Amino acid sequence: MTGLQTSVHVELTKAWRSRVLRTTTLLVVVGIAAIGGAMVAAADGGNAQIVAKLGPLADRTGWALLTGVTAQITAAGALLAFGVGLSWTYGREFADHTVTGLFALPVPRSTIAVAKLVVHLVWVLVVALALTALVLVAGLALRLGPLDADVVAQLARQLALGTLTGLVAVPAAWAATLGRGLLAGIGATLAILVVAQVTAIASLEVAAWLPVAAPALWALDPGAVHAGQLATVLVVPLGFGALTVLAWRRLQLDR
Amino acid sequence: MTDLLRVTGAVREFGPDAGLFGLDLTVAPGEIHALAGLNGAGKTTLMRAVLGMLRPTSGTVHLGGIALNDLPAEAWGRVGHLVDHPFAYPELSTRQNLELAARLRRVAADQVAQIVTTGMADLGITRYAAIRAARLSQGNRQRLGLTAALQHRPRLVVLDEPTNALDPAGVIALREVLLARAATGTGVLVSSHHLDEVARIAHRISVLNHGQIVGALDPATPDLERAFFHLLHADDEERGR
Repeated sequence: MTGLQTSVHVELTKAWRSRVLRTTTLLVVVGIAAIGGAMVAAADGGNAQIVAKLGPLADRTGWALLTGVTAQITAAGALLAFGVGLSWTYGREFADHTVTGLFALPVPRSTIAVAKLVVHLVWVLVVALALTALVLVAGLALRLGPLDADVVAQLARQLALGTLTGLVAVPAAWAATLGRGLLAGIGATLAILVVAQVTAIASLEVAAWLPVAAPALWALDPGAVHAGQLATVLVVPLGFGALTVLAWRRLQLDR
Repeated sequence: MTDLLRVTGAVREFGPDAGLFGLDLTVAPGEIHALAGLNGAGKTTLMRAVLGMLRPTSGTVHLGGIALNDLPAEAWGRVGHLVDHPFAYPELSTRQNLELAARLRRVAADQVAQIVTTGMADLGITRYAAIRAARLSQGNRQRLGLTAALQHRPRLVVLDEPTNALDPAGVIALREVLLARAATGTGVLVSSHHLDEVARIAHRISVLNHGQIVGALDPATPDLERAFFHLLHADDEERGR
């Protein structure tokens, strides 16, 4: 086994046994699908209060409404969940005082930091796939209509949104490392969330260029975000992932 | 014979009276070198510097004759340490924690189970193998951390206050393991407040004060405590002049 394989094995074992990640997974997957399904059922049933809350989505029906509502909740809820997951993954080493055991090892700390990102990516893919599958189940249960090409495209965008949301949460890992604990990472996640939401409300044109807001805008309306704007999303995980690995490589226990 | 550990002129300041201020120290193969000092004397800072957790602003640390900056990563597999807190993830069992510790030391996969089993037996925690670390008593968590530091048979062992929270049986188990390892050439750097315990195992006792080694104690000294404080007071008086 290489150092990275060893580290991934170690981090996967920790993630698999983690109550934090298990609970978060359940809340995101079941919670978002259930809220989305319930809102669509209420809107179809003529609930005026729910219809009023749907805002720009109010004129949608069927699968388009379900995937639209789910995308909106995913943009905020899943971002928070992935940010908490990353904060825990990196910050717990300081909170649980296990970080001293990650020094003086044949596996470099930078490799351990990369392994944590790899495991995060695996977790994000699992959550995104499970959520998309459950949205599909909710739509079928609500008898929203046949699964035509449009519906498949909407579900594919939901899958992509879930994955990209997990990627734009990566600054939480850097913040948790610099802040030596979970709170800094969670704070960074909330900051991303606020910036994305406020920008989307203030100006859709600007939000389309904002990596932390573009995935949700694209999932809701593919015409509103072009491929170049969507590609800028990758700057966030690559840039902050590199900063996180560098921070772990240079880490000193001097505080 | 090359020293397993050599610290030369290490400086790392955290304030006018905290840190390391030009510290020299060696650990030879088969030697148990104990550090004694009051709280804040610099024992933990020294161990952190030895293990790469802190970079000295000047001075050098050599492991097996190689400067820390030039040390190949695999060389750390021949070092075991417990500094500050045991390496124990609360959600994992004793065995799972030790398996991860062994893997991070690059122990071959087919040897991990045997090494962990032997390590747990050495420190007397076999009966807690399936218990999650969160449910272990503080003393047994310390034994778990010590096992993680020792199970892969390192050539150099660095232990900061290893008898903290240990019951008398744990202290004896650790003593026997360290003496047996030293007899086979392992070098040990250990800090402790318990001078009597240190006297039972150490070949050499260095006294730290204000980030410097201010003298040595002969482990055979009848009243070690008196000799320890005599050294500290002499150093404090010297500094006060």
